[in-house]
Amino acid sequence: MLAPSAVILGTFIIYPLIRAIWLGRQRCNPQGKNCDTTGWGQYTDVWRSEEFQQAIWVTIKFTLIVVPLGVALGVGLAVLADKYLGGIGVFRAIFSSTVATSVAVASLMWFFLLEPSLGVVANIGWINDLFPVVKEPGLLNDPGTALGSVALSSVWAGLGFTFILVTAGLQGIPADLHEAATIDGAGGTRRFWNVTLPLLGPTLLFVVVVLTTRAFQAYGEMDLLTSGGPAPQDSTTTVTYLVYGDTSEVRSDGGLQATTAVWLFVVLVGLALVQLRGLGKRVHYGN
Amino acid sequence: MNRVTGWRAVGRYGLLIALSALVLFPIYTTVIAAFKPADKVLDNRLVPDSFTLDIFRDAWTEGRLGRFLLNSLVVAVVVTVAQVITSVLSAYSFSLIEFPGRNVLFLLFLATLLVPLEATLVVNRQTIDSLGWLNSYQGLAVPFLATAFGTFLMRQVFLTLPRDMRDAATIDGVGHLGFLRHVAVPLVRPTIGALALFSFLSTWNMYLWPTLVTTEEDFGTVQSGLKLLKSRALDTPNLVIAGTVIAAIPIFLVLLIFQRQLVRGLTAGAVKG
Amino acid sequence: MNTMRQQHQRRGWQVRAGVLVAGALVAVACSSGESILDAGLPPPDTVPVPPTAGPDGSVATTIPATTTTTPLADLPPCPIEALEEASGTVELTFWHGMNNELEDALTELTNEYNAGQDKVRVTLQNQGGYNETIDKYFQSGPGGRPEIVQMPEYMVQQTADSDSTVPIGACFEGTGFDDSAFLPRALNAYQTGGVQWSMPFNVSNPILYYNKKIFEDAGLDPEKPPQTLTELRQYSKKIVDSGAARFGIAFDTGQDNGGGWFLEQWFSKGKELFADNANGRSAPATQVMYNNDFGVELLTEVQSLVADGLAVNVGANPSGQDSFLKLADQEKPAAMTIGTSAALGTIKVVLDGGLIPGLTSDQFGIGPMPGPDEQPGVLVGGASLHIVADQGDAEAAASWDYIQHLVTAEAQSFWASKTGYVPVRTDALDLQPLKKTYRDDPRFRVAYDQLTASSDDPSSSGPVIGPLREIRAVNSDAVSAIFGGADVAATLEEAAAQSNRLIRNYNARN
Repeated sequence: MLAPSAVILGTFIIYPLIRAIWLGRQRCNPQGKNCDTTGWGQYTDVWRSEEFQQAIWVTIKFTLIVVPLGVALGVGLAVLADKYLGGIGVFRAIFSSTVATSVAVASLMWFFLLEPSLGVVANIGWINDLFPVVKEPGLLNDPGTALGSVALSSVWAGLGFTFILVTAGLQGIPADLHEAATIDGAGGTRRFWNVTLPLLGPTLLFVVVVLTTRAFQAYGEMDLLTSGGPAPQDSTTTVTYLVYGDTSEVRSDGGLQATTAVWLFVVLVGLALVQLRGLGKRVHYGN
Repeated sequence: MNRVTGWRAVGRYGLLIALSALVLFPIYTTVIAAFKPADKVLDNRLVPDSFTLDIFRDAWTEGRLGRFLLNSLVVAVVVTVAQVITSVLSAYSFSLIEFPGRNVLFLLFLATLLVPLEATLVVNRQTIDSLGWLNSYQGLAVPFLATAFGTFLMRQVFLTLPRDMRDAATIDGVGHLGFLRHVAVPLVRPTIGALALFSFLSTWNMYLWPTLVTTEEDFGTVQSGLKLLKSRALDTPNLVIAGTVIAAIPIFLVLLIFQRQLVRGLTAGAVKG
Repeated sequence: MNTMRQQHQRRGWQVRAGVLVAGALVAVACSSGESILDAGLPPPDTVPVPPTAGPDGSVATTIPATTTTTPLADLPPCPIEALEEASGTVELTFWHGMNNELEDALTELTNEYNAGQDKVRVTLQNQGGYNETIDKYFQSGPGGRPEIVQMPEYMVQQTADSDSTVPIGACFEGTGFDDSAFLPRALNAYQTGGVQWSMPFNVSNPILYYNKKIFEDAGLDPEKPPQTLTELRQYSKKIVDSGAARFGIAFDTGQDNGGGWFLEQWFSKGKELFADNANGRSAPATQVMYNNDFGVELLTEVQSLVADGLAVNVGANPSGQDSFLKLADQEKPAAMTIGTSAALGTIKVVLDGGLIPGLTSDQFGIGPMPGPDEQPGVLVGGASLHIVADQGDAEAAASWDYIQHLVTAEAQSFWASKTGYVPVRTDALDLQPLKKTYRDDPRFRVAYDQLTASSDDPSSSGPVIGPLREIRAVNSDAVSAIFGGADVAATLEEAAAQSNRLIRNYNARN
């Protein structure tokens, strides 16, 4: 019964991972031939190298923007749309709609918004006056704002997903708990913090873990919006872009790519463990 | 949930409308741009003064989107069905069958969710290449026929099934597959629906893999088609925009139709832990 | 519902935040300052010394230029006869990266070829762009490769080193091919160590795009674009001072433009070598040479153009279109920009279609690339066609047959007039439709005229280096930093060091 899943996952995820771990000890030519084995020291060298450190830092910054913002907005919208109002279904559909956009679609939409010369946002007069960086050199070309802009497009694209999950979680909270709290005299805000949020615990944990993993593995946004730039700070070169991006120096060496990718895996495992242990204990499982 | 009335309702409506406008803004500008005639696309009025449907016709023919849509559809359907089947089977094993090392194996399954795509891309391409599956539906679909996410989701909901139900069935002499078919699956249909929807969505939206595994144009998917179109952004920007709209419409429709199932499916014990 | 729970939750967030921050700090503190390219490798024994110019202006290298030639006999052969002997139609696949009108033109040429004979049938496969073509080609084994592949000019060394192609020079020799009508610079671009590796097909070079109307408003002659960097400065100053436009010229720092490709062009125009061993053509390059006085002077001047407000930096230009879009900017336009001649056809279509408000296609002019004038002419850009080896004798012969068709005078005349690429042979100019195109719109000729001047100096052919693509990325970063105000000499040193690392790693494994 397990066999089908196990075979697929084993062949296409576990096996490549093991090969990548092995390949990470080598330096190869662009065709993957003439590999020299350099040993496990390559792993420490890559970890400590400037490019990797920079990329990890960018990835962490990106995640720190995307995850809290995504969770906050998702929860906010879900709670807002949780009330019994006429036509609430329409709003729910709108808020979930971004789940239908793929990375490519969402990034292209935001590209057309933010492009400095002809984009929509860049040419709205009052925005320009308030924030000249929008037009010159453009939100995606300025090292200070590039990462934030890419993160914004990512948050927007992930909004639907978070909204749907949190809405589902909210509907799992028994109504009598809310009523009991209201009878006890708790107002809307107190009810949110003391009833809703704790009972949303498992959902939020799931959302945070998924969003974090996704943020760490984000690639398409950087590829389509900024190509890892703007140079020279490489402000949006995350670890994934370092491995695979168009402007990456590591592209033509399969060995280095493998080393970097394996490190990404290790970091993700570490993060997941921290989140599950650190937050999991504090999550209240109802019933 | 109590009904909100009066000023609170007005306030809430206002907030909802404002937020909806913000969320929809990128989609709105894109869709509106698609309707503009070719020479008006890049002037940034927010409300267009002329409409045309020509661009969708052009995007369809020039962007080869018809064929790409078919490919995306075939692959998405195949992968969705396969993921549901493999997830149900494996989740059943992890929840209702006892065997040694079960927990360790489950953790291993979950760990696969953390392996970044970049680590597996090149090796997987080699595997597909050696199987001769480049430029084929198999090549596009096979690596994704199973996912630990599905296993996780289904296991969550199987765990909520009462133990005695399974015991009673064993006493009656019902085997595993029989139990699954006649008892378990019908009970967890909403969750299966949710899983199917998520599988379809993520397969439809796959970006990196299809470009890598196809060298013949006929086998691209809609997403790789979009990347192709992006190079045309300067001389026919509306083509790109129309392509974006076309790529997103089928999913919007599917989502709209199945939204309620999705929420119900996720509520049924799935994220309760 | 008590404060203890709230405190618990708050502590939970604090713990997580703390762990993340700690992790980040540990990670950063661990930085070794080394480049990822040195990972796993022992430190190099010698640090290459940048060469200095001798008294006569010629650049001597501390490492004497070596010459290596691979005799054609050691390379895969070109079996011409195999085509006649083949029974049935030979099927060929051709991987290319041409988009838009370029693809349309290529399709027309190919359809014409297929229809005109029945021995060979060519199927075009658009891989989406040069990068995708490169990736897929190098990741495939012989079974997965096509019969013909189009590789951009910076890949010529890497493709040659992959030992997977038939050098087109073998086919030249086998048929006694007459290449006298070909532009020497176009052929030389794809030659190293005396071996002609591939056939130039789509040739482009950088040209100056400028807004004639702004020139007029500023009191400049709209038919006389600036030729040197000095003139560029003068013109820009006049434009900015007169208020005709906000900036004189728009620069970008992209790999394929201002940050990478143009640098090599300027070095060639300045009669300077970019890399050792005669730009990597007499033997594989071992180090770059652009961190010399010429490089510092050149980039200091360009940097000051931006600093003085005469030029604007539009950034890394990943789409390739940002510098053009700056000309169309409604509020703060630039009057000029340097861009590839390959975009000329597209620009004309865009402007004729009225897509850019306020700018018509008659209003812009084309001039040669401004720069140092020690040596006339520019370097060849674009891509070339390689015949892939181990695909069968008949296939190789058929590929040669098809490639020959693409570079006949008729085909090149059609190709150049349709796309704005430079024809690779001079006799294409005598044929329609190119004759008419050049007569009716002399702007299309500028790129061609830039290439006709040829020279024997090794710096007249561009650098051929294995990891040239990555080196351009490094240079792109350096130019970006320089535009941001960084110290030119120091930045160039660092870039050269990184480039040399790339070269060392490449040479070690190829």
